[in-house]
Amino acid sequence: MDWGRLKLNPKITNAVKKASVRSAKEILSLSGPDLQRLTHLSKGDVHLLHSAVAAEYRKARPVTALELSLGEWPSLEPGHRLSFACPVLDDFLRGGLPLNGITELAGESAAGKTQFGLQLCLSVQYPQDHGGLGTGAVYICTEDSFPIKRLRQLITQQSRLRPHVPPALIHSLRFSDNIYIEHTADLEALQTCVSQRVPLLLERGLVRLVVVDSVAALFRSEFQADEAIERARHLLAFSRNLHCLSHTYGAPVLCINQVSDLVDSPNPGRCDYGLVGSKVLPALGLAWANQVLVRLMLRRQERCLRVGGQTSTVRSLEVVFAPHLPRTSCLCGVWEEGVKGVPREGLREKPPCPI
Amino acid sequence: MQRTVSSSPLAPSVKVKLINAGFHTAADLVDLLPLQLCQEAGISQEEANEVLQALRHDSRLCQERAAEGCITALELLHCEQSQGSLVTFSSELDAVLGGGVSVGKTTEICGTPGIGKTQLCIQLAVDVQIPVCFGGLGGKAVYIDTEGGFLVQRAAEMARAAAEHCALLAEDTEQRAALEDFTLEKILSNIFLIRCHDYVELLAETYLLPNLLQKCAEVKLVVIDSIAFPFRHDFEDFSQRTRLLNSLAQQLNQLANQQQTAVVLTNQMTTKVSNGQSKLVPALGESWGHAATEKLILHWEEDKRLASLYKSPRQMEATVQYQITGQGFRDASVTLELRPCDPPPSVSYKPHPPSPSASAPAWNCSKRPRVEAQHS
Repeated sequence: MDWGRLKLNPKITNAVKKASVRSAKEILSLSGPDLQRLTHLSKGDVHLLHSAVAAEYRKARPVTALELSLGEWPSLEPGHRLSFACPVLDDFLRGGLPLNGITELAGESAAGKTQFGLQLCLSVQYPQDHGGLGTGAVYICTEDSFPIKRLRQLITQQSRLRPHVPPALIHSLRFSDNIYIEHTADLEALQTCVSQRVPLLLERGLVRLVVVDSVAALFRSEFQADEAIERARHLLAFSRNLHCLSHTYGAPVLCINQVSDLVDSPNPGRCDYGLVGSKVLPALGLAWANQVLVRLMLRRQERCLRVGGQTSTVRSLEVVFAPHLPRTSCLCGVWEEGVKGVPREGLREKPPCPI
Repeated sequence: MQRTVSSSPLAPSVKVKLINAGFHTAADLVDLLPLQLCQEAGISQEEANEVLQALRHDSRLCQERAAEGCITALELLHCEQSQGSLVTFSSELDAVLGGGVSVGKTTEICGTPGIGKTQLCIQLAVDVQIPVCFGGLGGKAVYIDTEGGFLVQRAAEMARAAAEHCALLAEDTEQRAALEDFTLEKILSNIFLIRCHDYVELLAETYLLPNLLQKCAEVKLVVIDSIAFPFRHDFEDFSQRTRLLNSLAQQLNQLANQQQTAVVLTNQMTTKVSNGQSKLVPALGESWGHAATEKLILHWEEDKRLASLYKSPRQMEATVQYQITGQGFRDASVTLELRPCDPPPSVSYKPHPPSPSASAPAWNCSKRPRVEAQHS
């Protein structure tokens, strides 16, 4: 760091140079007394030094919540959200996926989690007026291979899913060219992908949505039960990367997660998020939950819904926690054209699906 | 207060002799007898007498000056009572906390994700602005967000609800006048948000806080949501983390005390296994446990949200239930309001007797913002 830039008494800057402190980070990480010992400066001088370095290090001045709500700081509060391409779901999630932070979607197998991931990969490509971000998505597969057939089907059905978008616009978008697919078979590959390749795509503006399908698979398979600490350390490093990317580029991150069964009786060491009566909880425990901004859960229900010649098992999408959403749920179904929410009044009970 | 011999009002020749004999500070000398001193330093007895008289007089002055900085317990009591405290909008939690979150102290809120830590913090950032004539503090808030959980949309909802609550309570002209400055825009413009993405940025902001608070004396609340998030990432060296956290805790305590603001920190929970039993404990280790003056733990029991006062130097440990509604952080006993302006038809609200430490002069129980049902 160039100490001359700080408008400080030369006596102080000289002392800092002599003490061979190199970076602002180092100064800020040293407590007052430690810094006094290193530089032989008085308490007052050290105080001046600390505040000058801190002022230089700070990236933005404090902004008021009013400025944020007026949209004067799009980097801190983007104001819009990434649409799910369904008015019911968007209403339910108050606009869609928040742009800053990690959103988790947990659910049993066959709950329809991947469908949500695919739909978002398409919806992100629409311009902002239509709820998208006008750019592509990166889809990181850790479990199965990418469901390319289903993606093609979704692309051909876009005009059915979004009747309000002009068909010319839909035809002008080259959906499959803007989805970057990464397959990572082990944890090391996942870390390299998230720390090197994804930042590159984000930096070039090629993508602004990261979908990880799923986070649980690798972290659950690569660690034994007694390696909890090691697992938590890797999880933290992984989530820190995602968190940074999301905040730096205003890119929403959707992490699909598995669930784990509750086998034992309630114990004080488990956090059940107030989900009384649920037989499953999102996997990966508290270490992961602490990193998540919005946690959604998808549950398959035992009944079917028939709309226009198609039947679908009803799913309920539940908010487990989110800073801006109440704890409610919304029913949805998976159709040929994509995932759609069921409006509350339009719900008619149907007998269970024959399986 | 330590005076060196060389700076004392003594003759230079005497000073040189004293220093040569190894006496460097006034404290080295004041307890000596004149005879000892004249033998040790090789000065005459007259000179020794003069030296001791001069230094003792000087040190008495110092002590008197120091005494001016001290206040009696009675003064401290009056001082604390006049500060008032920061209401949470849950009267049961306020009663447990002794009137609300203390001003001039640090309070730590711990809890699992989704329990409502951020909700309580946003609520406090709104509540700190309740005008003085409504029993509030009429202050401003600084909100340091490290997790990205502060969404302005949510803050606006709570601000609107708080303004509407107060509007229902306004009785006299003074209160009505105060309400004109207690609008959604005004409330939002008095919350200063700082986003930090790693621990170094957080440390930088804490070094800048004293200056910010001196410039803007109305700031009565500093929130750090959360302290755990940056400090649980990227630390290989746990002794360095402990050192940094300790110095941070000290700075924050000093800030709370000197600037007379409430400092509220949030912390995550972690699982601790001991004797084959696992339980949830606040994160960041044992030594951080001493950091905050008061500690509140939010936790689930079945589908109820509970707040337990875990550590406090003045209030008893207790647990109360609360809920989070569209309007914000509320008592569990208040039934959910469907529309913000519509008071519920029946509310099982029991007014709490103000606890002794909360009986500040400005505190009028009937003016509490949340008793809208009584005014409907």
